Amino acid sequence: MMVGETRFRFRKVMQRPASYAILILVTCLISLPVVWFLLTALKKDIEYLSYPIRILPEVAQWENYVKVFTTGGFSFSKYAWHSLFLALSFSILTSFTSAMGGFAFARFQVPGRDRLFTIIIALLIIPAIVTVIPQFIVFSRLRLTNTYWPWILWGLTASPFHIFLFRQFFLSFPSELEDAAEVDGCGPFRVFWSIFLPNAKAALATSFIFNFTWVWGDYFTPMIYLSDAKTTLAVKLATSYLDPKGHALYTITLAACVVYTLPLIVMFFLGQKYILKGMVTSGLKG
Amino acid sequence: MSTVQSPARRPSIRRRLSSRSWRRTVAFYTFIAPWLIGFVLLTVLPLVLGFLTSLTNYDGLNLANIKFVGLRNYTRAFADIDTRFSLGRTLTWSALNMPIWMILAFILALLLNRDVKGQGVFRTLYYLPSVIPVVATVWVWKIFLDRNYGLLNAIISLFRPGTAIPWLSTHALLGLTAIAVWSGLGWGMVVFLAGLQGIPDELVQAARIDGANSWQVFRHVTIPLMTPVIFFVLVNGLISSFQQLVLPLLLAPTGMNVPPPRSSYLYMIHTYRQIFVYQRFGYGTALLWLLFIVIMIVTLLVFRTERYWVYSEAAVGEEGR
Repeated sequence: MMVGETRFRFRKVMQRPASYAILILVTCLISLPVVWFLLTALKKDIEYLSYPIRILPEVAQWENYVKVFTTGGFSFSKYAWHSLFLALSFSILTSFTSAMGGFAFARFQVPGRDRLFTIIIALLIIPAIVTVIPQFIVFSRLRLTNTYWPWILWGLTASPFHIFLFRQFFLSFPSELEDAAEVDGCGPFRVFWSIFLPNAKAALATSFIFNFTWVWGDYFTPMIYLSDAKTTLAVKLATSYLDPKGHALYTITLAACVVYTLPLIVMFFLGQKYILKGMVTSGLKG
Repeated sequence: MSTVQSPARRPSIRRRLSSRSWRRTVAFYTFIAPWLIGFVLLTVLPLVLGFLTSLTNYDGLNLANIKFVGLRNYTRAFADIDTRFSLGRTLTWSALNMPIWMILAFILALLLNRDVKGQGVFRTLYYLPSVIPVVATVWVWKIFLDRNYGLLNAIISLFRPGTAIPWLSTHALLGLTAIAVWSGLGWGMVVFLAGLQGIPDELVQAARIDGANSWQVFRHVTIPLMTPVIFFVLVNGLISSFQQLVLPLLLAPTGMNVPPPRSSYLYMIHTYRQIFVYQRFGYGTALLWLLFIVIMIVTLLVFRTERYWVYSEAAVGEEGR
């Protein structure tokens, strides 16, 4: 046993440099397209469109990042605001309503609960695509397309995935919490509002980040729902910036994509321990 | 007086009890009301309307001209050469994308599952591509895979001068796979890693003491214990890869009126174009339902194979008996 363990540790020490070499090599491979992207965003268009290609920009064009806000014939900030408005209102609403749902499924033993929970689980697997387009048809008949109401309604109606997430989270709360509160005369709404919600910061952060990332990055929904004046950054950046003559401005578009991605990267770093944990909960216990 | 009151008190206690459970039932349904109302109005209703639409010639505008056509949209789908072609493309794409993605994600998880310092840093780095929104991802790969100005062809040119492989047109399915694998790695890796970390150390140690080498441990301990997780990732990945629409849509050279290259003309692209370009809402929703059925069949088939390769403690226990 002792011998085996020493040999095991010895092998581990020997393996370490090799492990790091592999890990770093993989990092390089994965980040190669992004590095190329960041370099190209610092070039002039002529440099990017030269053959054979050049790796580094002759002079780093940091003003590309200024031009993101000033050229292209549209206002980056206006569309960023649209994206922000939709992402914020949807994620705040849906995190809250999903927390309500998760609380109900975790803490109430009432008739009909288990059957409804089966529906939630089924909705996690059923392909979304069959509902997305018919939903669009319904909203367009209600004349709610080209408004932001669909996002508000989606937010108000919670999401099965996040209800599931909150349920898993609330299941771990000790039942003494509620009992004590009930003895003190708290109704279920007080219990939820002043005991469960304040203690669910981790789950709320996870849910918020997931939802925000989803709406901020979503291309398809705003593309079919919103007109050019009301659409989001995702849709605007799907095509390149144009100069007044209608020629594409590639490297500025790339710089715009960097600015567009940055909030999500920052958010990911701030909340990564929640995100990775949330993903595992949702993934493995399903 | 007291004898009259005492039987009356009992039902009142019962009523109070039942009123407590009644109140909890009301509270439960109040809490889930937002979801439940949304489920009925935004999921069930559109599903039903979608199915009804698929039985008509609805063009998205005129309800006056709407006509019931029965199952004609469905029979038409089977005769439509483009539909069959696009379904074939989607099957090819899934067959290409799924194994590459799963194997790479598994390898990354294995790499990270070692006991090295800074494991968390590398996990974060490997996950980062998944954080980038799809529109930016497509730009990253558009310029990386560009036929003339892309870095990949330039690197290949070092070995084979003058390489100009059209990754995004003739070989669009390859470009598409690269993008999907790259941005999907994070999710697969995190789930596989969680699975690997759930494998009890004693089992690995025991196998080692029995003289198993690394490969034997991997083959006879790690893989069997990972099959439930592999199964989960496989089912999820298949369902989403059959629905792939946004990547080829964004990769299409210009605007939504130009179809993507034939190579990446996936089933959902075909469906999308029927609805949003040709206003064939009836036919389009029929295509959606057919895809739904295809996905369900494939999922059921995968579930059927489960007992042949997915490890479960219950099954082993039965065999042992």
